[in-house]
Amino acid sequence: MSHSLNEIEAMSKRAARGAGLSWGLAEEAAKGTRWLSAFGFPGTDLLADLLEMNDRIPPIDVSPVSLRAPVWHAPARRMSPLIAGASLSDCAMRLMERGTIAMENICFPLLAVPFMGGAAQRLGHPVAAEWAGARLATDGRQLCVQGDTTVLRARMADQMVFTAPARMTGRREPVLRADVSAESWQRLSTFAHRTFAPATDDSRLRGAGAGLSDND
Amino acid sequence: MTDVPARDPDLVMRLARLGSIHQSRLSFMRILTRRMARDGWRFEQTAFEIDASGEGHAVYTAHTPERAYSLVAFAHDLPPEKRSDRVIADAWDATFTLFDGIPTPEDIARLAQNIPLQEAGRVTGSELSVSRANRSVRLWEHVVTALAAGQQPDAAQIDAVGYLMRTTAVYGSGKLGAADREMIADRPEFRVPFQAEMLSVYLTRWFVTDLVQHMADSRAARLGKTAATLAPELARSMGIGNSTGLGMAPFLLNHPVLFNNWIAARETALSRVRGLDQASPGDIALFRDLFDRAAQLVNGWHSEHPVQVDKLQALRDDIDQLRGYLERTDLSAPGPWDTLYRWAEETLSLEGQEWIASLMLEPYGTLVDELAGTMSADNTATFRIAGAMSISDLRNLLDRVYRWAIDTDWSAPGNKARAWYVSEEKLEPRLGERFEEPIEEYEQPLAPGRDAALLHAALKHWPDEAQVAEFILRHPEHRHVLRRVQIVGRAPYAEIRDNTISDRVLPIDMLRCKLAFFGATKFDPRSDRWVRICMYGNAPLPSELAPETADFWVYPTLPEVQA
Repeated sequence: MSHSLNEIEAMSKRAARGAGLSWGLAEEAAKGTRWLSAFGFPGTDLLADLLEMNDRIPPIDVSPVSLRAPVWHAPARRMSPLIAGASLSDCAMRLMERGTIAMENICFPLLAVPFMGGAAQRLGHPVAAEWAGARLATDGRQLCVQGDTTVLRARMADQMVFTAPARMTGRREPVLRADVSAESWQRLSTFAHRTFAPATDDSRLRGAGAGLSDND
Repeated sequence: MTDVPARDPDLVMRLARLGSIHQSRLSFMRILTRRMARDGWRFEQTAFEIDASGEGHAVYTAHTPERAYSLVAFAHDLPPEKRSDRVIADAWDATFTLFDGIPTPEDIARLAQNIPLQEAGRVTGSELSVSRANRSVRLWEHVVTALAAGQQPDAAQIDAVGYLMRTTAVYGSGKLGAADREMIADRPEFRVPFQAEMLSVYLTRWFVTDLVQHMADSRAARLGKTAATLAPELARSMGIGNSTGLGMAPFLLNHPVLFNNWIAARETALSRVRGLDQASPGDIALFRDLFDRAAQLVNGWHSEHPVQVDKLQALRDDIDQLRGYLERTDLSAPGPWDTLYRWAEETLSLEGQEWIASLMLEPYGTLVDELAGTMSADNTATFRIAGAMSISDLRNLLDRVYRWAIDTDWSAPGNKARAWYVSEEKLEPRLGERFEEPIEEYEQPLAPGRDAALLHAALKHWPDEAQVAEFILRHPEHRHVLRRVQIVGRAPYAEIRDNTISDRVLPIDMLRCKLAFFGATKFDPRSDRWVRICMYGNAPLPSELAPETADFWVYPTLPEVQA
């Protein structure tokens, strides 16, 4: 079904929060899923896969141990692309100074790609990511896809390398609608539902503050 | 021009003051009516297929120089027991969508399957808004009865309510599958926020006027009579009501950059006008005329809510004091507006201060109207966290912006008595009692003061030279508020500098502020979290819209007095 990007962002934020991520990381997950969807990637499917894999686990286990390490890695030997990606965006200046940041054992690597768009906008230069023969580069607004696109749906990349400044050879424009699979929407809804308080008569009346007649 | 600095965010961004803001020439309805008149928009009713029981549909199209937009309205025969303004309602007197272009019969058939269902329906990228409205039962029946009997309705009864229907939600920007704002934001007519929603309400008012006439005609025909035609001055005096609950309150917190840009535009306008060295005789005459008309608008503003009753009394006293000031003051003296503003700040209640702050902008369209172009926001750039910021810079920023929050005792139950949450019924935002209801685990991040204080405490043992990126990797729970803090560092009016979860918080303050930027008048709280307002009251009807009528319509014209 065709969805607006705002719907995708709102659903993704609630779902990520429902899976135990902090509000700040849930916002990152939502912006990232929106960005992927706008470029025609199955962002909601990938997010649902990741949330199911990491449901309510302590984030520290799947976070980079150190941002100064030559290669970022997580204690659990599988790194969350949302947490690593958010850190990559936070470290945009460091990426520019170092030229590359490498990560190992990163889950659903495509989910980390939107964050380099954020970094690219901050730097004013394109950023590229490479893993398993695929290369994606973006300036934050347009996208360039090269190499083996079958690995874009990979569940794990042994190594993923981000580079800045990078070159963009082709330019794909985002679209402002997205087709979302009903199945992924349902999976995200299950997570999102955990963030809603069950309705009670009391909350119906007090929580919204109405209760007066509207027939006047 | 003298340089008068914009007002301090610590003064402006308090809930009591935000909850006292009045509409101004930078309000979204007035920006729209000026544009429609300036660009010569053309309006036509292209369908009105509604039966004698009030069931059917109608289409109203606005033609801009480049495009067309159509309000598709569905009228329903609603049993009274189904009539509720709450978001959890599932049927309404009328439902609407603003269609991008001119709908085909296939579009109408598709919309007829979805728009009457509101949240339970789906729309597409061709729809720019989805909304619904309920009748004011009292006034509706009075107007239909009077017209059907061949008489005009009573002006006093119309004034007492102000509208025939009130909207209970106007959804835009991607809701229910509609077009995202990004799809239309580069069109000149939609660059200013909420213009599509304001257009839909303007056309809704026209439809409601036609519908009430149609119902009166039908009733008269059943009696073998001919109904009177509603007098244009009575039609013009009626706006569209709006009934709004908590759903709107989180908006200002969830869109900090946008909120900053609204407030900054109004504050910049105020500082420009206060900075004028001289007022021309024409400007002074216009201001004095509008002063009386604006006072008239306040006279017609009623509420039974104790908080608003007190505020209204204070505002009426303020207007008396202002009248005395204006009688004894020569506005052609140097720096008249700054002198007036400073007197007001020392003398008047918050209602009066904000009332006169909005009013003194009125003669200066050429000076302030272009600020409308600064009121939208693209959040892409500000969303990213600047991870290279040092902990010491972050601490300084917190000390500067959130001092009030750091100094608040958050262990005192009264300071965090409430929690914002979302109920599973239609995802309605609600405000609950943290210590009395099982809601804390569902709490939404709508308490930036408390969260900033927690962040400040968590930073205590971190060295000054460490970077924010290192801290936030260890403490993802602070990522949300850290982003806010950095935004407020660049956008000083982005944050409500007040406690949004205390036992004294009045959510209607947030609703009032947002609705004032829309251009609403006659705020009438029904509780501390629920408000009714009026939109487009006194606005020219589409056939009357012209540059001469498009600017000051919000202020009623005074009746001629016999000498």
